[in-house]
Amino acid sequence: MENEIKLNPQELQIQGLLARYLTSNTNNAAETGHIDDDSLSAFVEGTLNERESTSIVSHLVDCGFCRHTTAELVRLDLAFAGEEVPARVETAGEPSRISEVLSGIFSKIFGTTDAAVFAHEEQEKEEKKETGETE
Amino acid sequence: MNEVIQKHCETVIGQMFERCHETAPNYAVSSECFAKSLNNTLTRFSNSSPSQLTEKDASDFLGQIQADDLFMALACANGNERAWWEFDQQHRSYMERVARHLARTEVDATDIVDSVYEQLYGTRIVDGERVSKFATYSGRGSIRGWLRTVIWHSLVDRHRAGHDEVSLDEMTETIGEGGAHANFAEQPSGGDSDMVDHLTRERYRKATVSAIQGAFDTLDNHEKLLLLYYHVENMKLREISRLVESEESPLRAWFQRKSAAREKNPAGRIHESTVMRWLEKCYSKVLLAFRSNLLAEGGLNDAEIAICTQLATQDLAGNSFFNNLSVSKSAAEVSN
Repeated sequence: MENEIKLNPQELQIQGLLARYLTSNTNNAAETGHIDDDSLSAFVEGTLNERESTSIVSHLVDCGFCRHTTAELVRLDLAFAGEEVPARVETAGEPSRISEVLSGIFSKIFGTTDAAVFAHEEQEKEEKKETGETE
Repeated sequence: MNEVIQKHCETVIGQMFERCHETAPNYAVSSECFAKSLNNTLTRFSNSSPSQLTEKDASDFLGQIQADDLFMALACANGNERAWWEFDQQHRSYMERVARHLARTEVDATDIVDSVYEQLYGTRIVDGERVSKFATYSGRGSIRGWLRTVIWHSLVDRHRAGHDEVSLDEMTETIGEGGAHANFAEQPSGGDSDMVDHLTRERYRKATVSAIQGAFDTLDNHEKLLLLYYHVENMKLREISRLVESEESPLRAWFQRKSAAREKNPAGRIHESTVMRWLEKCYSKVLLAFRSNLLAEGGLNDAEIAICTQLATQDLAGNSFFNNLSVSKSAAEVSN
């Protein structure tokens, strides 16, 4: 059960006034761009140095979108708290077997067949070639 | 950064690279690639504040980097198969669980994970180079924390793409647990007060609104953020304490510095009761500033201040004291 804050009557009134004021006056548009994923996740995990976090805290006060994102990320963090990262797999992993797994991954990204994967790689090579010729 | 600190950082980064390389020699990450990533992050860190960076600052900063995660991310950004295989082994099922937790359907969750993989691999070619999302990971937080953020944003983008005009409230209410509950004011009911009463109420209302705005503005950003998390984002005390759980958390450090009575165990877990105390301090500060503003700027006496807060409290039950806040602001500007 959520602990209740025990306030005197005046503080209770201020709490109510503040709550009303803040929820009625949410400014969702920060003048600068939004915080990047990398900084957001580091802030939520508490690993951002104070030097970096000053500007981020200032932004979160003004930007409802980023602030709400951090709130949701905290909830997500709590939902998955305690899960440990599995240890690295130390098996030698024959290259061919690794490639089979990767083909599966890349087929989802680029298409349903290995041909689509290799076609993409061929396209990359061609683009690089074209860029080289242009330069 | 001066040369001495630069040299020191090079040494530390070199040591970090050796450790990572020893653990994962098959990732084929070069020392130059590793150093380049860390130097970019270090430069951003150095530029984030006008104060001079010290050697200790730089050491502490580098000491907090999740070097193994960064090493894997760099290898994946380079397309290293071994790194990709290990990443998939270690993190895919976790990503799927996170996506299922957030998405409405299993299909949506699967689509999101596939979409994130696409971003991580990078399907865009810019100047002949494949642009991988992994390149944006700096190692300042854990890779799993970063993945949660990427998944969250992917879901938000997907949701936006499916709706033409979506307000922040609509979008976030349907994603995750807590939504931003915009408590917009109701229209005031037709008053039965006569004109004099109405004008008096209006005077008190403007004074109260101005005073509470001014009082909030006197708070430091950390205090404002705490109140916004509690009242606007509806974060529970245990959620806020989670946010400040890490001993290195700058929010935590800030509030602990401001606390006259230091917690008995500053390195320990921040209890919900501690967050409650922080909130109480904020309310006390706001109350003082609020009263002071009403006295000084509103020209009200103690009795009138009591009336103001009473009226505002009554209005909380039905009409909103802060109805048309922007209108009242502009009206105040016109009348002045």
